Amino acid sequence: MKVNMPLVTLLSGAALGVGVLVASIVSSPSTASASSTSATSRPSPAFTFTAPASPASGTAASGTAASGTAPATTPASTATTAPAAATTSAPAITPTSASAAAPATTPAAAASSSTYVPPQADYVAQVNGGGAAVAISVHKGKVVAYVCNGHAVATWYRGTAAHGKLNLTGKNGGLLSVDYGSGQAKGSLTTDGVHYSFSAPMVHGVVPTSGRPPGLYEATATVDGVQVKAGWIVLPDGSQVGSVEYDPTSAIPPTAQAPLLNLTTDTAQYDGVTLVASLISGLTGSGF
Amino acid sequence: MTAQPDASSPAPDRYSLGIGKLVVPSLIGGLVALTLGVYGRLHHPTGVVVNIAGFTSAGYVKSWLATIATVFAIVQVSSALVMYGKVPRVRAPSWIGRLHQWSGRIAFLVAVPVAVDCLYGLGFQTYSTRVLIHSLLGCAFFGAFTVKMLILPKRGLPNWTLPLAGAVVFTLLVGLWFTSAFWFFSTFGVHR
Repeated sequence: MKVNMPLVTLLSGAALGVGVLVASIVSSPSTASASSTSATSRPSPAFTFTAPASPASGTAASGTAASGTAPATTPASTATTAPAAATTSAPAITPTSASAAAPATTPAAAASSSTYVPPQADYVAQVNGGGAAVAISVHKGKVVAYVCNGHAVATWYRGTAAHGKLNLTGKNGGLLSVDYGSGQAKGSLTTDGVHYSFSAPMVHGVVPTSGRPPGLYEATATVDGVQVKAGWIVLPDGSQVGSVEYDPTSAIPPTAQAPLLNLTTDTAQYDGVTLVASLISGLTGSGF
Repeated sequence: MTAQPDASSPAPDRYSLGIGKLVVPSLIGGLVALTLGVYGRLHHPTGVVVNIAGFTSAGYVKSWLATIATVFAIVQVSSALVMYGKVPRVRAPSWIGRLHQWSGRIAFLVAVPVAVDCLYGLGFQTYSTRVLIHSLLGCAFFGAFTVKMLILPKRGLPNWTLPLAGAVVFTLLVGLWFTSAFWFFSTFGVHR
């Protein structure tokens, strides 16, 4: 019998597609942190983390793949990478109280009650295991936080903090819970169903490598008649991670990679439109 | 555009029989395109994808894979033109058929992970003209490719069917490349 090669090609492609889909769904933040060495501040993490059980999918393709792959809740093991990340990229301010943040099962439980809570602070880091960056700015009790991965993840959080703790909600059921002190902000977050933990050092006093200090940058503009909102997280080593949301007030804003933010001019070019970024600073209160 | 049967085509009943063989593949192809589109629309995009180490971001991985697929697609069309004797003064070498088959297979298999990333990570989106066109072309491409693969082994089809199917698939892929990789490279720069 003659083999129907075109059909074989077609089925091979289908099998490959299913394989890639399953690979995308199965790998989780916990496995990424165990195998990845990108816990330090790297601009381009390997996106080996993945994937929530997709809530809205009723099709067969996702239905089979999504079974049994609920978002991994952060295991205690990821906490072991956290202090390392904090020390390698730690800025000038490194109080002794930071050592009190021993690895704990729940990141929120790590806060020491004796930690000094700064009224104004900015924290920036890659999440544990890499794959996304988080920025938290606190100004007199008000908080602006942002997580993005330079791809389709971008979630803003706004709210208030009390006694060095904050619990905020973002779009799509996004959650952010943080304990912060004078050295670092430690916590966990959920965005688009993916769970991350992080230890972000305070970035005050970090000498900028490229004209602008590390921190959280925001820009809004209208492109093709659609409102866009871009956010960049500039890490202490000068690298940046940015995402741009289209129609940010909609229920599920489409999100993509943000263009490179020029840290000398504070601008970025996107579809022929110049985005002008401004720093959200807990230290000065700008952007609040 | 639909091609008209010319005077040299077979008898009407045989001709309509050939056309009839296109119905099922076309329906299956349409179903493939529709399924991809519906999945991309209903599935909540997570933006979480498998990246390849050494690349700046998933966008670059996809853009380069799409470019590779497009290059092989150009090989596809070129080899097809040679096979059909449409290139003056070029006689089809014996290996041209193999070149055509393998360039097509590689182009398709390279395009598949890109499509999975798009549908799983980003979904079927409509927020700009480029993105809407890209979403439509993407679904249509895999539908059209399915049709072409299904009609390839069939005998007795009208002469124009394969060239037409190939042209449609190629046009869709080039359109996909221009609305994605070309745009991406021109926005973010050409590098890894």
